[in-house]
Amino acid sequence: MAGEKKYGMVVDTRKCVGCVSCTVSCKMENKVPFDGFRAWLNIRERGTFPEVKRHFLPRLCNHCENAPCVQVCPVKATYKREDGVVIIDEKRCIGCGYCITACPYHARYLHPQTKVADKCSFCQHRIDQGLEPACVRNCMGKARVFGDLNDPATAVSKVLGANPTQTLLPEFGTNPKVYYISADLNVSAAKEGKVSGA
Amino acid sequence: MELNEIYTVVNPTSWNAFIPLYIFLKGLSVGAFIVSALYTVFGFKSFRSLAWPSAVASVVFLALVPIMLFADLGQPGRFWHLLVPWYFNFTSPMSWGSWLLILYPIVLLRYTYLLYKARPAALPAPASASAKEMAATLAHGLTASGNTIKLTGLVVLPVAVATDVYTGFLLGVVKANALWNGALLPINFLVSAILSGAAAVVLMYLFGIGRAKQDKLDSNLLGLLGQMMLVLIAVEIFFVISQWLVLGMGGQQAGLVLKLLLSDPLYILGEVVAGLVIPLMILLSSRARSNPTWLTVGSVLVIAGSFLMRYTLIFIGLEASRLVG
Repeated sequence: MAGEKKYGMVVDTRKCVGCVSCTVSCKMENKVPFDGFRAWLNIRERGTFPEVKRHFLPRLCNHCENAPCVQVCPVKATYKREDGVVIIDEKRCIGCGYCITACPYHARYLHPQTKVADKCSFCQHRIDQGLEPACVRNCMGKARVFGDLNDPATAVSKVLGANPTQTLLPEFGTNPKVYYISADLNVSAAKEGKVSGA
Repeated sequence: MELNEIYTVVNPTSWNAFIPLYIFLKGLSVGAFIVSALYTVFGFKSFRSLAWPSAVASVVFLALVPIMLFADLGQPGRFWHLLVPWYFNFTSPMSWGSWLLILYPIVLLRYTYLLYKARPAALPAPASASAKEMAATLAHGLTASGNTIKLTGLVVLPVAVATDVYTGFLLGVVKANALWNGALLPINFLVSAILSGAAAVVLMYLFGIGRAKQDKLDSNLLGLLGQMMLVLIAVEIFFVISQWLVLGMGGQQAGLVLKLLLSDPLYILGEVVAGLVIPLMILLSSRARSNPTWLTVGSVLVIAGSFLMRYTLIFIGLEASRLVG
């Protein structure tokens, strides 16, 4: 399999300052509608006053190795490219919403204009020209690192090799291609607001 | 230490009420067919007079299904993509369902047509035949049940069952959803479908649809239908309790889902109390089982309950999926 590209991303949450430029630049680059997100930022506060800190979790499609959306699409409109990017054929998608329901990460939404499923494509139109995705390009803290995971010389491979990382919801066996450094994911697992003793 | 979620972005779902409505109508169709098959396939003579009206009811319910499905698609004009063989996705229950929803109407219509031909008065009716006479002929049942009808019914039966249960797999394979994910959902849907179909047939029979005016209500038949519903309700209650136990002792998401369920009046008061417990109480009495008024109340509650079962399952499920990711 040498020589084949496998795109992925590492998000170093230590470098994220919560500026939301990933969300904004993605919205501009991909004409993302008002009520949907391809890239977004979850924010939580940890600690008891005065020892409080904000933590940011930049999010996007995980481009899973075993993508539930690809598994359930009834018309194969969602598929995985050879370089690992999960994309949607907008001409084939019927807008049934099954993939939106099946994605454990809420990475998908029904586009109100095209009436088909829509989500992050790692900016396929940019990466096919050798450019970085818009969110990576515009990240002021350089928290997002994108590239070929199969090539040990790329920045993303080096960051991935040098740091302990986590992926989101590994228990579902989706094998995400977006990795997080220092994301403290277990603590954020409870979505019930206040969690004590975590 | 405290942890507060400040922003948790969750993309909106695209599913609406047409989805549970679709599953509900499909269940009515499959359930009514199975009532019809009680005589034609399984040979229970007591259900003979219901064979034809139930088959017609099954077709009528099924005729409403495509409306729901089209209403749900973002791009309804592209529905034919589901039927392009090289677009077929083996791992998608929705792909299987698309073909089942083509196959099921074909075999069901063939079955219903054979039943229609087998009636004694299938001979050309005189032009002057009044509606009353037509109604009378409808209720006289079959002259020649014949092997053809039985064999056709045997073909329809697995197709009908598959058409109903595939939705159970469709939701059951959604791994990040503690409410849906599991192996019980398909059989739960099937039991609920037969229950709602039987209740619909009971209502039709009581209100004289497909029954000749001069034919008196057969209290023996009503009692049998009542008993059948009673057993099916008991099985549904088992599924409810089973779900509570497994969710309550399950993982973090499961526990939160159970809280959502138990705090939703549509679920507790609608689906469980009005849709299952009250009909169970009514049908436990053998006198109520052959009393038209009580049977009407019980059947209406059962039908409403089986719709609520699908409605709450879909929407509390969608709510539950927001708890992870």
